[in-house]
Amino acid sequence: MRSLVFAALLAATPSLALADLAPAPAPAPAAVPAAAALPAPAEADDHLSIPFTKYRLDNGLEVILSEDHRLPIVSVNIWYHVGAFNEQQGRTGFAHLFEHMMFQGSRNVEDDAHISMLQYLGATGLNGTTNFDRTNYFQTVPSHHLETALWLESDRMGFLLDTLTPEKLAKQQEVVKNERRERTDSAPYGLANEKSWQTLFPAPHPYYGSVIGSMEDLDAATLDDVRSFFETWYAPSNATLAVVGDFDPETIRGTIEKYFGTLPSRPKPEARSVAPMELASTVELRVDEKVATLPKLRISWLTPSVYQPGDAEADVLAIALSGGKSSRLYKRLVREKKLAQSVSAWQQSLGAQSVFVVDAVARPGVSTDRLLAEVDVVLDEVRARGISAREVRQARNKLETGTVAGLQSVGGFGGKADQLQSYNHFLGEPGKIEWDLDRYEAVTSADVQEFARSVLDPSRRVILHATPATAAGPKAAPPPAGKKPAAGPTTAPAPAGKGGR
Amino acid sequence: MRRNLPFAAVLTAIAFLAAGCAASQTVPDAAEAVADPEAWRATPPTPGEPPELVTPKFERFALPNGLQVLVSERHELPIVSVGVALRAGTAADPDGKEGLAQLTYQLLLEGAGKRDAVALDDAFADLGTSANVSVTQDGALVGTQVLTRNLDEAMSLLADIVQRPRLERASFELRKEQQLANLAAQVGNPRYLAGEAFAAAAFGEHHPYGRLGTGTPASVARLQVADAKRFYEGAAGPKAAALVFAGDITTERARELAQAWFGGWKGKAVAPKAPKAPEVAARAGVVVVPKQGLSQTVIMMGRPAIAVGDPDEYNLTLASMVFGGTFGSRLNMNLREDKGYTYGASSYVDSRLGVGPIVASSAVRADVTGASIAEFMKEMQDLESRPISPAELEAAREGRIRSLPGSFESVGGLSYAAASLFWYDLPLDRFERLVEGYEAATPETVQAAARRFFDPSLMQIVLVGDPEVISEQVGTMGLGPLVERALDAAPAKKGKGKAAR
Repeated sequence: MRSLVFAALLAATPSLALADLAPAPAPAPAAVPAAAALPAPAEADDHLSIPFTKYRLDNGLEVILSEDHRLPIVSVNIWYHVGAFNEQQGRTGFAHLFEHMMFQGSRNVEDDAHISMLQYLGATGLNGTTNFDRTNYFQTVPSHHLETALWLESDRMGFLLDTLTPEKLAKQQEVVKNERRERTDSAPYGLANEKSWQTLFPAPHPYYGSVIGSMEDLDAATLDDVRSFFETWYAPSNATLAVVGDFDPETIRGTIEKYFGTLPSRPKPEARSVAPMELASTVELRVDEKVATLPKLRISWLTPSVYQPGDAEADVLAIALSGGKSSRLYKRLVREKKLAQSVSAWQQSLGAQSVFVVDAVARPGVSTDRLLAEVDVVLDEVRARGISAREVRQARNKLETGTVAGLQSVGGFGGKADQLQSYNHFLGEPGKIEWDLDRYEAVTSADVQEFARSVLDPSRRVILHATPATAAGPKAAPPPAGKKPAAGPTTAPAPAGKGGR
Repeated sequence: MRRNLPFAAVLTAIAFLAAGCAASQTVPDAAEAVADPEAWRATPPTPGEPPELVTPKFERFALPNGLQVLVSERHELPIVSVGVALRAGTAADPDGKEGLAQLTYQLLLEGAGKRDAVALDDAFADLGTSANVSVTQDGALVGTQVLTRNLDEAMSLLADIVQRPRLERASFELRKEQQLANLAAQVGNPRYLAGEAFAAAAFGEHHPYGRLGTGTPASVARLQVADAKRFYEGAAGPKAAALVFAGDITTERARELAQAWFGGWKGKAVAPKAPKAPEVAARAGVVVVPKQGLSQTVIMMGRPAIAVGDPDEYNLTLASMVFGGTFGSRLNMNLREDKGYTYGASSYVDSRLGVGPIVASSAVRADVTGASIAEFMKEMQDLESRPISPAELEAAREGRIRSLPGSFESVGGLSYAAASLFWYDLPLDRFERLVEGYEAATPETVQAAARRFFDPSLMQIVLVGDPEVISEQVGTMGLGPLVERALDAAPAKKGKGKAAR
């Protein structure tokens, strides 16, 4: 999950945003190709780098500066090193609910004024997002409004609680519950996907809440929760400010010091550590799908965390499996057998533990059991023989050039600021882009084969069958012999995980 | 257009921003404010000198065969976006054969020249990329994005795809099956259902804009490979297409490549005419698309409004910005932040080659469906009783103008903009004219546009959700009878209701 460029490529949905803020109101069916950034290869000898400097204020706030004067715009991007991972039991969804509170005004900024002010001065790439591992806030502003962005960010970093009221919290609880209704409860496969996720990470694992959390937990949040979350996790020492773009290198440090330097220091919270989850056996879920109309199969495995050995192999394999019409799953399931309407595979790279997912949506009349058998044929082939050198090369080229394309934006989702922040957050060092790409250079066919064998273990995975009642047509085949369906529909069998305490 | 905003406008915008600063109202007394070392934060920063406004720049020339070539240079990164824009879009679907344009354009990637679909995808993957097709009502764009050094090879593939597509029967049948399955899947997508019903409600089933490009199960089922061949013959040729380049390429190099790969392209295709403006009728009823058990209702409202280049385009865009075009717009502030009914409510102007719609939409909690619609209507009426203020206008204007540079950071976005210039017959200085148009707008002209287009009685209303809840909530609101739209919409009948083309 290096950047949203990849995320889009790999169909991952790693985080929740404050709002659907399109850069420009775009008519629905006309997909702007910028959003579906097409990758192109980087020159093999072309060393990519993002020049930057990093330093720390006395109160502990980390600062990353990176000049880029291509356009008269500058991105202000803050990562707070807190995500759903840091939620307490009974408060799933809280990190994200808190992110919404950050837009509700602070001592010197009126309620709801933050986004409006920025939009009215021409900001783009503007949002806040929460995922499992971090929460980020970003805006790209015309360069003469840089100070306004710093003023807004510093006011909520320092003085959020001054204007906190029960009414504001109650309102955002409603907004976030609406977000859950829209993106989970009323979305195709939303509830089924959540069930699958929760089987991988059963409570009390902090990933259990799937970022959005439960209605009950969202309702349970109190003002005291907001205060203590802010005091603990929103300390300057637990945040990193990146300023990327068209700023004046002579004055920038002074300006940052002016807005952030006097914010009171608080100790950096201790990093939480959670024992890795493990699946002792395969868990098969059969869920009655209420929104979507075609059956969907989802297979998930627990995999190594972001940037760890195995993570790059997973990205390469995902592309070989579903990266285009010549990819393995697409070729067999969609083109040749005509069983699937769509297939996608991706590694959702996360800080504590990642998840490798294969999704296949059935053609009308095809059962998910049939899809499962076919996906297994393809995976067994990879386990037995690996993938070709050409496939490795193609995947590597696509990943490299996804990175080049990502460098076009100073900020926004997955632009340069996020890229620097991501390396800094997970590796403690912003300047890792070359190292990152080198990981893919090093991946061999044998590595991918080994990953498919040892990590994508057929006997330790979660298999979700999301079947709409209306799809049970006469052509739906019974499960193949020997595969016993799990108990009943919508029953999540006790997962065989251990750890997670 | 190099000149800066009128100084007065900037001042007004800043005054509006300052009004978003809470401290001016809440600081109790001056003495206390002076004692507080952080009191200076109460005043938002004064913006610096505005930088020169950078708008997208294009060059245009034509080859001897009539093919237009548009180029937008951007040399900082070694990446180029290239594509062929065609003037026939989904509005060119013959009545009763809806879905033909999309199917035909997708078919281009199923084999061209000496390569079948898999070989074609492999060839792009070798370059670290893939080909992309997007189809709008008024055109299509077939293209890719590559590193500069791979541009020659990409051109050769693109030339094959556009000039020598195989359009084979077997591939056609495969795409057709996929499109039918996709339609079956979309029945499970509330947003799709709303968009489909809205197009029909606002334009009429037989208007070229009255249906989505996906077609219906019945219309797609009757498509034949001969239809696709005929469509493509009528759509593709140097007189109805433009080659667009954006990124690391000079105009000279673009000329060489265009001549080398497209100079020999022949064909008699001519650009289709703009669809006729539909009649705008008073709302006869409320269209309900039943989807049982949804916890939300999707509301979509709107009407035919404006074509690209209409003199009122800038005024309406600004009016819509104030109404629902930003996070801080009246509609979103009301429904999301004040009432807590939704995760977001927004509006946009979808101006097209012919008269396109304005649309306002939201997904709201099911039990406040009626209350939400009432707020939509009230906000529309309020545009009359609470006219758009000078401050609201300045904020919208400044936001639109100053977000231009940040909206075009990527070469993909630039090539899409170049394609739009071609689809809509726009001058090369389109973006300079936009700025001038926004600058020329006054509260009176914007108010007049709001009056012209936001009359609630002319707004068509589409609701997707639980039919019982909707009937209970909306049945007695006096909006007109509830008219249920079947999920599997009947195909357009031939010969009825003349297509307005």
